[in-house]
Amino acid sequence: MKDVAVLGVGMHRFGMWPDKTNADMARDAGLAALDDAGLSFRDVQAAYVGYIFAPVMSGLRTMKEFGLTGLPVQHVENASATGSAAFREACLAVASGRHDVVMVLGFDKMTAMIASSSQGTDPAWLEDSILPAGFFAMWATRRMHERGTKPEHLAAIAAKNWNNGALNPMSQRQPEQHVTVDKVLASRMVAWPLTAMMSCPIGDGAACAIVGRPEIARRRNPGRPLVKVLASDLQTERYERGHLFIGPVVGPARMSVDTSRAVYEESGLGPEDMDMVQVHDAFAIEELEYYELLGLCREGEAEKCIERGDFAPGGRVPVSTDGGLIARGHPGGPTGLAQIWETTLQLRGEAGKRQIDGAKIGLCHMMGGGSVCVIHVLARE
Amino acid sequence: MLTRVPVKTGYFTVPDDPATPPRLLGTRCDDCGEHFFPRRAVCAKCLSRRTSDVELGPRGTLYSYTFVHFPLFGSMRVEHVGYGVGQVDLPEGPRVQLPLAGKQEEYRVGMELEAELDPLREENGQEVVIIRFRPVEAR
Repeated sequence: MKDVAVLGVGMHRFGMWPDKTNADMARDAGLAALDDAGLSFRDVQAAYVGYIFAPVMSGLRTMKEFGLTGLPVQHVENASATGSAAFREACLAVASGRHDVVMVLGFDKMTAMIASSSQGTDPAWLEDSILPAGFFAMWATRRMHERGTKPEHLAAIAAKNWNNGALNPMSQRQPEQHVTVDKVLASRMVAWPLTAMMSCPIGDGAACAIVGRPEIARRRNPGRPLVKVLASDLQTERYERGHLFIGPVVGPARMSVDTSRAVYEESGLGPEDMDMVQVHDAFAIEELEYYELLGLCREGEAEKCIERGDFAPGGRVPVSTDGGLIARGHPGGPTGLAQIWETTLQLRGEAGKRQIDGAKIGLCHMMGGGSVCVIHVLARE
Repeated sequence: MLTRVPVKTGYFTVPDDPATPPRLLGTRCDDCGEHFFPRRAVCAKCLSRRTSDVELGPRGTLYSYTFVHFPLFGSMRVEHVGYGVGQVDLPEGPRVQLPLAGKQEEYRVGMELEAELDPLREENGQEVVIIRFRPVEAR
């Protein structure tokens, strides 16, 4: 990725916000990002807007909250990876030289979606996807069969993420007391062996990133560390024997391997260079698998690394430092941008109580149903 | 006995003889020989457009499974609490994800399963059926 910087980031805390509209939350996140960048909306030359559950035209209508300047606005939707995919489009627009300053905005109200949902868990309907927890529970069953993984390993990941969430003011789940492995295991069973506390919540929220040419960041925020986007890749499913065509939430595990290899190649870095990583931990088993698929540990060694605390704060490579999808939340459209928000603050050294000492390089990984894998590598210059 | 009809056409057979297990309706690529479920017009592997309809199963090997204890996204529709779902590798190659009969304790990864039809409801004097798997040894 040639000369693209994150100029500013902003969020509206994820959570259950029945009294707020998408426009309310998106306006808060967008204005926060503009302020963070030291820019006016008049400086924004293009925008990519992402959501999953709002009606058609919602992106264009929401953008009017910032003023009517005639800028080009595009909708981007890629299920859970919507925010990440929109971020990628904005980066490509800057890298191409077409625009100097581009806004990426993601928002969603899952609480509204649920009220109108009729899609289902009805096993009678072959083409309806089952509960996502059920799909990922099957990852866990298989992993337990192949590697002897214990529910305690999954609970350890979840507990880590809950406790990380306690340190993040934008996190949906901010437990007041330290969350233990036992507490996670004792929570309600959702889809065996996954419990409720191993699963992300539903929620509402918004997040925004402003990307642009690095010299704008240097001019607007002199003295502040500059965060650059080193690499971006997006891949869809590749056929191999045993491919599931009906019912999967995401495609073969290999997507994360292939996409991460592409960003490592583009950035000239390897997994050992990452100081921190955000992943699509909608369920704890996912984070466990991604440790290996992204190359953060060797195949078959995730359990050992979890026991050693490799991915906890202060560990070898902290993962889901903001609480991840499990604690910070996963409203849909804004989720990938929350990862960019967290990584940008960490790389600038502005992450407060959850700051990873000396973080210089971070990776953001998202999966989107359908399915798609999107990965970005950000680095402090 | 009521006439049995599939909940959705084009996915599985409904044999006249209730003792005969149903088969899945799939596709074989005439060029590379790869099999698919469900049916498709273009081979996903070699991209050939020369494909033929075939029937798959009815037996397969359990790749993974779960029993779901809660409905989608916290919805209030709780009528299906406790249902099983499995991913089953068919001998022809495709992996399929379908409901499982019975209880969680009856299942283990790697066991042989067979497809069966399960009555869902009565509609217009016909019995609407779904396809699901159950352990062969339990039959």
